[in-house]
Amino acid sequence: MRDYALYLFIILFGLWYLSYSATRLDRLHHRVETSWANLDGLLQRRAAIALEIARSSISDPASALLLTAAAHQARDADIENRSMAESGLSGALGLLLNDESSIIGSIEKDLLRELSELTDKVRVAIAIHVDAVNRTQMVRRKFVFRVFRLAGRAPLPVTYEFESDVL
Amino acid sequence: MPIKKLRIGIVCPYGWDTPGGVQNHVRDLAEYLISKGHFVSVLAPVIDESKVPDYVTSAGKPISIPYNGAVARVLFGPIAFARVRQWISSNEFDLLHLHEPAIPSISLLACWAADGPMVGTFHAAAKRQKAIFAIGPILEPVIEKLTARIAVSEAARLTLTEHLDTDAIVVPNGIYADHYRDGEVVQKWSGNTIGFIGRFEEPRKGLPVLLAALPIIARFAPDVRVLIAGPGDSEEFRKSIDIQLKDRFEFLGRISDKEKADLLTSIAVYVAPNTGGESFGIILAEALAGGAAVVASDIPAFDSLLGHGEYGALFPSENPQELAKVVIDLLRNEEKRKNLAKRGKEYAQRFDWDVVAEEIYSIYEMSMVGSTGVRLASENRGWQRFLGREGKDE
Repeated sequence: MRDYALYLFIILFGLWYLSYSATRLDRLHHRVETSWANLDGLLQRRAAIALEIARSSISDPASALLLTAAAHQARDADIENRSMAESGLSGALGLLLNDESSIIGSIEKDLLRELSELTDKVRVAIAIHVDAVNRTQMVRRKFVFRVFRLAGRAPLPVTYEFESDVL
Repeated sequence: MPIKKLRIGIVCPYGWDTPGGVQNHVRDLAEYLISKGHFVSVLAPVIDESKVPDYVTSAGKPISIPYNGAVARVLFGPIAFARVRQWISSNEFDLLHLHEPAIPSISLLACWAADGPMVGTFHAAAKRQKAIFAIGPILEPVIEKLTARIAVSEAARLTLTEHLDTDAIVVPNGIYADHYRDGEVVQKWSGNTIGFIGRFEEPRKGLPVLLAALPIIARFAPDVRVLIAGPGDSEEFRKSIDIQLKDRFEFLGRISDKEKADLLTSIAVYVAPNTGGESFGIILAEALAGGAAVVASDIPAFDSLLGHGEYGALFPSENPQELAKVVIDLLRNEEKRKNLAKRGKEYAQRFDWDVVAEEIYSIYEMSMVGSTGVRLASENRGWQRFLGREGKDE
């Protein structure tokens, strides 16, 4: 009789653990998705501001051309080329904004302040997203998760190699 | 700060009415956020419930356990857990900010109990193989629930990567820099004086190192005096001081912020001889903001806070001879001292709450994206859904 109770306990505990693990993984998948959606939105906004800067009096014709091209590239890039395109945009913005002291107009200053605030957010968003992806990959490599296929049909999240030079 | 007002729940693991760095940090952050119009509730262990501010909710009386070379007053157990759950479910927070969630405390319980956007701040910098971190595998799934992690220093971040294999964003502790900006010179505290603020009885604060260095310093600066502020039994400590040096010590006891500012402005050098166990060194940030020339041991936290010697002089930890050398050099060379203090004061603005809280706030914002607020985790479990008992916020 006591044996049965023990088996029952082990089975129940096992079931609870599986349910708990599934919830855990579900939460991680959810976080990967939301953090990416957030990051994507911020990057889109950055590209939009870059285009505005390109059109404003901050940039000379040559850098305007460079910036416009980079911004469009970042917007149109597919997932594999995204991080490279975003780094390209960072580089273009960096070139242009090297010396901010020459910028006088108030609209331009607003634009730059908005950009720098956005950049701070992008940095945090990247940290959160990369962390979520790494965690998910780590958890999915674990024995229990693989054997019981707790991930279901959800695709393994891809690490986006964001360089730290994102402005 | 944005227009949207948030409901923020902050959990402080250590007893609210015992002095400590984490408690101060939580208090200042809560008051800053409240002053910006947010709703903030702090959950903390409290000894005397009649003396806490409105925004603090008591989780019960703390118990003392030895932790990280000091006695920590924390709280856990079933009753505390029930209070944590009650606090979470009745407040409908947008976000929880848990402090030091990796030690057995109400922060960890809150992390376990809640579901939704959570930010964790890690304060401690501990050496590897502490028993408290040996429970890593159990902690892992809990800590994982934190949407974003903050470390208060590079040292704390390193501890986190080593013990829990996860990264964090570094945001330093905050100070109200303007409290210390306009200290007045008090005559009796000026001259060749060395300042020290803190719980001087604790060995890791390093006062014995300063004691050992003092005879050497006195040889070159005969009128040198040491001013010690902070809680502790000064009579007991006085007995341990060499009879010839006794007159050089003055114990000020606990001092107010105003007195602290005046002290920092008046003294010639501020000495922080800590031997370890320090993760950030808030007192150094305050000393810099108060315009003192700072001399500190080269433990990792101080080294990084002082920009590797750029904003304050460093000496090899637990080495009285080197400490004496650095202090004598500064006492003799007024121009060097003034320059050091000036650089430090400008640099200290970086730790002002206006800067630090904005950084924390932007992490809050990023963590809350796509969420519907904080609720109890049990309302969200699969089997609850299976039974048709949906979480009440859904």
